Amino acid sequence: MPKKLHVGWLYQMLAIFSCSLAMIFDKAYGEPLYAGPPDLAILMQDSIVQDSTALDSAKIDTVYEVKLPLPLKKVGRPAQNLDATVDDLARFPAVSLQQYLKGQAAGLYVQEPNGEPGSVQSMLIRGASMPLLSARELYQNQPLIVLDGVQLIGEHPFAYDIQQYDFNRIGTATNLLTNIDMANIASVEVLKDLPAVAIYGPRGANGVILLKTKQAGNRRAISFNAYTGLVQRPTVATMNGDYENSFRQQFYDRYTPAGRYTEDDVYPLYLSDSLNADYYGPSNWTDSYYRNALIYAVNASIAGGTDRANFRFALGNLKNKGVADNTGLDRYSASFTLNMKPIKWMTFSAMFNGNRIERQRNRNLRDRFALMNYIPDLSAPLAPNKESYDRYLKNFENSFDDNNSNIVEGFAGLLFDFGPLTFSTKFSVDYNEGYRDLFYPRTLLENNSFASNYYGYSQRIQFDNLLTYKVPLNGLHDLSLEAGQFVQWDTYKYNYAYAYRGVNDFIKLNLLESDPGKDEYLTPLAFPRELVYKFLDRTKHNLLAFYGRANYSFDEKYKVSLLLRGDASSNAQPTNRWLFTPVLAAEWNIKEDLMTQQDFFDVFNLRAGAGRTGRINAFDNFAQGPQYTAEVGFTGNVTTPGYNGFAVLTRPYSSGWIGYDLPWAYSDQLNLGLDLGFLQNRIKLQLDGYIRQDKNMMLAIPAYAEYGYNYAQQSGMEVHNSGLDIGIQATIIPTDRPFSWTTRLNVNLNKNKLNALPGGLDEIVLGNRKLEVGKPIDQYWLFQNEGIYLADDEVPLVNGQPMKFNGTALKAGDPKWVDTNNDQVISSEDKTLVGNMLPKVAGGFTNQFFYQKWSLTADLYFNLGRKILNQEMANRFDFINREGTNTMDAVKEITFWEKRGDYSKYPLYNPWSTVIPYRAEQDLFLENGAFLKMRTLSLSYDMSEWLNKRTAVVKKLRVYVSGHNLFTLTPYTGQDPELVNYTGYDTGYGLPIPRTYTLGVQVDL
Amino acid sequence: MKVYFTILVLAVTITLGGCKKVLDVDSTRAVGEQNMWNVLEDTRAALMGTYGLVRSAMADHNAHWLYGEVRSADFISPVRQDLKAIGNNDLNASYPSLDALSNWRRWYAVINSANLFLERVGEVKAKDPRYTDNNMRVDIAQIRFLRAYAYFYMVRIWGDVPFIISSHEDDFENKAREDQGLIMAWVEQEMLAAAQDLPYKYSDNDEQQPGNYYNESKSRWAGALARKLTAYAVLAHVAAWQGEYPNVATYTKFVIDNYTKGENGYVTTDNLTNSNGLFFNKNFNQLFGFNFDWGHIDASFTGHIEELTLAQPVVNKSIPDIFMPKDSILSIFDEYGDERFSLDTLGNPKSERYFTNYNGKYPIFSKIKCIMGGVSNPEFRIFSSAMIFTRLEDVTLLRAEAFAVLGERGQAIENLNVIRELRKLQPYDEVRNGDLLEAIFKERRRELMGEGHRWYDLVRYNRIRQNNPAFNELLSQGGIYWPISRALISQNKLLKQNSYWN
Repeated sequence: MPKKLHVGWLYQMLAIFSCSLAMIFDKAYGEPLYAGPPDLAILMQDSIVQDSTALDSAKIDTVYEVKLPLPLKKVGRPAQNLDATVDDLARFPAVSLQQYLKGQAAGLYVQEPNGEPGSVQSMLIRGASMPLLSARELYQNQPLIVLDGVQLIGEHPFAYDIQQYDFNRIGTATNLLTNIDMANIASVEVLKDLPAVAIYGPRGANGVILLKTKQAGNRRAISFNAYTGLVQRPTVATMNGDYENSFRQQFYDRYTPAGRYTEDDVYPLYLSDSLNADYYGPSNWTDSYYRNALIYAVNASIAGGTDRANFRFALGNLKNKGVADNTGLDRYSASFTLNMKPIKWMTFSAMFNGNRIERQRNRNLRDRFALMNYIPDLSAPLAPNKESYDRYLKNFENSFDDNNSNIVEGFAGLLFDFGPLTFSTKFSVDYNEGYRDLFYPRTLLENNSFASNYYGYSQRIQFDNLLTYKVPLNGLHDLSLEAGQFVQWDTYKYNYAYAYRGVNDFIKLNLLESDPGKDEYLTPLAFPRELVYKFLDRTKHNLLAFYGRANYSFDEKYKVSLLLRGDASSNAQPTNRWLFTPVLAAEWNIKEDLMTQQDFFDVFNLRAGAGRTGRINAFDNFAQGPQYTAEVGFTGNVTTPGYNGFAVLTRPYSSGWIGYDLPWAYSDQLNLGLDLGFLQNRIKLQLDGYIRQDKNMMLAIPAYAEYGYNYAQQSGMEVHNSGLDIGIQATIIPTDRPFSWTTRLNVNLNKNKLNALPGGLDEIVLGNRKLEVGKPIDQYWLFQNEGIYLADDEVPLVNGQPMKFNGTALKAGDPKWVDTNNDQVISSEDKTLVGNMLPKVAGGFTNQFFYQKWSLTADLYFNLGRKILNQEMANRFDFINREGTNTMDAVKEITFWEKRGDYSKYPLYNPWSTVIPYRAEQDLFLENGAFLKMRTLSLSYDMSEWLNKRTAVVKKLRVYVSGHNLFTLTPYTGQDPELVNYTGYDTGYGLPIPRTYTLGVQVDL
Repeated sequence: MKVYFTILVLAVTITLGGCKKVLDVDSTRAVGEQNMWNVLEDTRAALMGTYGLVRSAMADHNAHWLYGEVRSADFISPVRQDLKAIGNNDLNASYPSLDALSNWRRWYAVINSANLFLERVGEVKAKDPRYTDNNMRVDIAQIRFLRAYAYFYMVRIWGDVPFIISSHEDDFENKAREDQGLIMAWVEQEMLAAAQDLPYKYSDNDEQQPGNYYNESKSRWAGALARKLTAYAVLAHVAAWQGEYPNVATYTKFVIDNYTKGENGYVTTDNLTNSNGLFFNKNFNQLFGFNFDWGHIDASFTGHIEELTLAQPVVNKSIPDIFMPKDSILSIFDEYGDERFSLDTLGNPKSERYFTNYNGKYPIFSKIKCIMGGVSNPEFRIFSSAMIFTRLEDVTLLRAEAFAVLGERGQAIENLNVIRELRKLQPYDEVRNGDLLEAIFKERRRELMGEGHRWYDLVRYNRIRQNNPAFNELLSQGGIYWPISRALISQNKLLKQNSYWN
């Protein structure tokens, strides 16, 4: 806190003001509120300007009367935007922002591990800043999405705490970035460099994606955008019980004397009865599982106004169906923006964006059992026969799974303009809520019905103030000063209940006695009280920031900017609440300075930035220091609330010890950028090199087992990311010809390294991952496989005994795992770090061809330098450990009957061996996951001119036809190299990303 | 300048005040240090938490039965490779359950929780006048007992273990393993000390615990907490494990002489095997038990012997995880008229008390079958049976064992016959039933089947008799212990693997 004194008294006055306001809001609303950097300044931007960046702000002024003063120069941001235009983006039949942006900006990596419409996807900007061990870390790596200055909140992973299985978060598990309709968006910017994101403080530590809504002009405008299309059923190879049986028989033939490995061995009934038509008949389940389906989207908007006030209003509807398992998503959206200038020196702006997302989820067994926390008898898996599968699906007719989200965000802001001095204040809210109401009838699960109800919300309220002052200097000097402050109040909450065995299949709700007068008040009526489980949880996080920035420019040639900020988080420990960080940016326009005489270069701009930004603790328990909680559950029963009907308090033995004096984690970055344009700007090149070091990060270290703890939550992890973003845009044949061709390439090269672990450790093992200082954080930790021991005497002898694996002697039929440390035993010490889960190189390559009014766009997406662990294949071979038991490992989906990959590549080990020869953690199952995908091939025709000749009403009319996800080139033998989540393990659970064909129109009146 | 300085000081003060309010968010998800150890609800939560941790240590991966039953190979597993490995004493095999079973972390959570309680309970005493001396004394006795029990359980599994009796929260230093003999001596002392302060019953105006314990009635605590008799019964096990049979006789005598004070009695075979009998919820006859009370919404899918043993037709599950083959059943239940299991003259089981579906491929061990609220509905595999560590019948047979070892045949037979009569068997007869000690162990095997005793019985028997070369090798080389999880060894470099498992 004393450090604050350095910043000066102006700063303090602002602090008083803001904190007092914060207190007022705290009182007035009970639930606290937010703030983002006031972007009012750019609100009025031309709706389709794409290279909306930063330095060329001049055009913003000229358009309308309702205009704002010059935005402050943002030093250090690229001089040109080489990404796709929003019009192009809007033609992609995407549901989520991630899908729109995949492969479109250098340095932005999108994972789409599931083709199920609206399922959760993740983004990483310039690599991961910490090892992605679970959904919690993935959450902490997500970039900030800012819509017109409103910082979107997303969903908090704290609900995973009550889940035995973390395949999906409880609740809707809907991707909340499905709330962006690209037809409403004027510009998208991916901010990566520290000078660009610093204004967002710790929230921007993972990069920022800046979205701006289209604004109205001073004349009436109507636009209409729509497409309709088809998602195409994939062709897959299926198999039946006969095939699986003969696959398994080869192991029995080889390793068992009489068809059974031991006397008590059981061969699964469903494979042993070849007369059973369900399993041995035709494998045509795909007819009921996959489908062709229609999709569409429509968006209409009206805008209008006068010099003093204008508005834009848009409505949209989207329907997207998946090709598999009856999945789909419906979105209803409304967007509204308003600007008013009642008096000359004041502008009022407001925005509202509302979406309702209704999502039909998959019906796979794993997700259902995980939700129910119950695994029924698995001895008879779903049969590959269509009739049999249809009988199973019929059970769903009596069930429901309403899975809806409402997402709204908006702001209201005032801008006071007193010439050189402006003051803006802004109040914004982002709120999303999810409902999942679900009922499974008795017929679906051994005569046990199941109901569950989830309601949860996330709310961010932000209050922003910004004072700017343009120092009146003469001549070539240009100096502006900013002082800003924001408070952000986040609240996350959910109520969740589930119940088993209702009285019948007609009452599908978990009804409670609602009469407060009765003794049974709130007692379940339709489900037995003893089988109703209820959960409530809430977490809050408040963030407070002050910042000051000075921007200086000399003759537009040299620019420098210094930002100083102080951030305080309620998730930081009281002794370390505040973090003070500086960011310095500089820019040198070499073209204007030294090259005005030569005309080879049109742009030659050098940028540099360096500084620090904080990283927030995602969980509020870190702020508490040593603490108590209720962790007396055990494997399979994690939510045990107490003992003998009493609530308990214990140290957090499972989640780990938390001590005092945990400092803020922070991110140091160094950026160097070069913008080049030459040959009359026919070639534009943008190079951005970066080094980012994330320090003091928390990590759960396995420790203190003799004091009862699984982990010690310790600070001190340091991860290094460095790389290069390359953007190239070339006009190969200029647009003034009848036929023209432009090409655009964006590539990110990234590598990461673990620089330090907490407590000075060199390496730690976390589950099936190992982190080693000096090595990348995204590597697999695997045994090296060198074939098979065909006979017992092939096993090397150690002191006269066969070599051992973890104390068990290796035998014929076991894998030859390499003893990498030469200690004569095979153990986890021999596992090595290999391959990367995240691509070293990722990017997009777009070519556009224009011929008269026709244009053809071809969009390719690629990942290189990435490996995939084919767990699905490992599971197939490890059938002995996945048969007959009542565990999630033994669950067989209907897609078990889909033939994926090449079985003949793998040696025939003895699957009964207790060394588990077909464990996934060996390089036998590691494959090259590089790929190149045809994301889009789109042909469009611009009819504007043709129509303009006939009617003045139409400003723009463009029709297009597109194909998406047309092909994938990859050496990977599994399903689709994209359908892999952050762990790099291909579980086979990703539904296919469909090939899609659309026909669309974009009209402006 | 002075003015500016004043403004500055003022500004800082006000700012700090306002911001503090925004930034101090008391977590609703974790209890910070300042909100703990203030009132007697905190000691109750910590005490129940310690019980809960013991329960979770025993129930995780069904450890209690995997250690106690599966390892003895009385039961065999048709499908689960990990259980087969345990039955084959292949404890290094690579399965998640075996790795969990070789990890003692959950037991040390019990110990840490207990150590912390003993260090901090005084704070509550000082702050909350409702927290009486007696309440504290009884709480401390339970905590000391549970901590000693945790060490006893660990010594049985791993032999030497690190010995830690303070919370070390300022410095969690790694410790090497301590000689098990020293630990067992300490365990015995601690339990004896605890026994002095423990009441026979709670909330029943016992002289050592007057009034309602934590303001709850007697029925709430029945069987749920450690009592005086609990301590002596477990002490008998502690002594027996060390082969100190005179002490076994002493400790069991206390239980046998006083069991009526604890509302204990011998349970009928029906009560023993009913789905709402001895094992259901909680009752006084659970001399030391950990309940999963149905009424408290505490039933669970796992952490019960039923999860391993039950299958069709008792529950919806095609193949049991473990079962006892027919010939084993016949060789164990070889006496006519045994209420637990016996065949009639036509060779059919007289009852389905211990085994259901006897004539099927998999006889289902259904002695313990508390399905849902103690019903026989096979549809939903959620169980409410308590984990019982010891009961009066166990203590009686331990007593018989002690007398048999000490050469007091008369008293040994007398105690054995108590159980034999209870199960409607003829009194012991050397000609018919063979060697006395063997008959006692056989009776234990029948009576306590499925309760997690068998492996330890085998160890004690073989220590006494030394007539099985294979087992002697296990005994001499430390093979009766479990390997120590590799994860533990990599965390704490002072630990050495049990030599047998290297």
